[in-house]
Amino acid sequence: MKAAIPIWIAFVPSSLAWGIAAHAHGLTLDEVILMSAWVYSGPGQFAVLVPLAEGKSALQVVVAGFLMNLRFLPMSAALAPFFRGVNRTVLFFSSHVISASSFIVPYFQFQKEPAGEPNEPAPARSTAGYGRLAFFLGVGATSFTVWVVGTAAGFTAALGFPPGFEEAMKFILPGYFAGLLVVEMKSLTMVLLCALSLIAAIPGALVNPRWGWLVTAIGTAILVWGWEQWSLHASKSS
Amino acid sequence: MAFAVRVLPQVCFVGRQFPEVWDRLLRYLSYAFICSIISITLFMSGARFEREAAPFRAVALAVTIIIAHRTKSAVAGMLTGMILVLLSSWVR
Repeated sequence: MKAAIPIWIAFVPSSLAWGIAAHAHGLTLDEVILMSAWVYSGPGQFAVLVPLAEGKSALQVVVAGFLMNLRFLPMSAALAPFFRGVNRTVLFFSSHVISASSFIVPYFQFQKEPAGEPNEPAPARSTAGYGRLAFFLGVGATSFTVWVVGTAAGFTAALGFPPGFEEAMKFILPGYFAGLLVVEMKSLTMVLLCALSLIAAIPGALVNPRWGWLVTAIGTAILVWGWEQWSLHASKSS
Repeated sequence: MAFAVRVLPQVCFVGRQFPEVWDRLLRYLSYAFICSIISITLFMSGARFEREAAPFRAVALAVTIIIAHRTKSAVAGMLTGMILVLLSSWVR
């Protein structure tokens, strides 16, 4: 749970901000809590706020939310191999607390652990899987609670942070993410990928603030991956 | 929908080892999303690029990266960057 503390701190201002924005867009407290608990995605919730407030069709709201939350698909798939031996019903419920934060912290932690033997006995596999799940939930479930409580608090008390304080709070999550990535960076390809996605996200968001950065992220990842595969093939054939 | 994209890979791929090529693509997609989130959170406010604050935040991010790399501690880097951002907001 100690690993989740920076995430809790970072979730406070963003959850409060979403609660305040939801209040301004005419949502009720129960709608705010329900959406935070059910969607649990800052960008996704911001993306559906305007279509909801403007009374757009349910399909438009669902499409906006779906596109924003597509980023969870590769994160969830990347975590899945580490939960070997864990009951699928448990994973069904625990997967709900996957977010960018609850992905990156456990993912880097699991990569540091020694890999299990392919012919490892089932009980040992299961114990390791449940151990990793416990770590994941320690980060994910507590961050989820902070998020839901924070949005409700933001809704009920339209708190105003002093400008400097807000600025510092805004830096915590991206700063922590950047630090985690840098500590784990082991190849030039990863440096290239991170630098390119960091830069490309801005023009992407300027073109389309909701989905532009998602498109540039997917494009950059595929481009770097394709380039890496091509150079591997080229070096093998020469 | 949000739940579906989270739960499907967990339930379908639990314990499965992806081929190295696909594992790399998944990893790169996840990292690219994280880096984009960093960029969007720091430099954008809705559809607007935060022109005034961007240079200060970019410097703070660079310092965060250097400190995290040198100390091998993400928290140390983040705290240094946060203090810099706080100081720069008072100076501005």
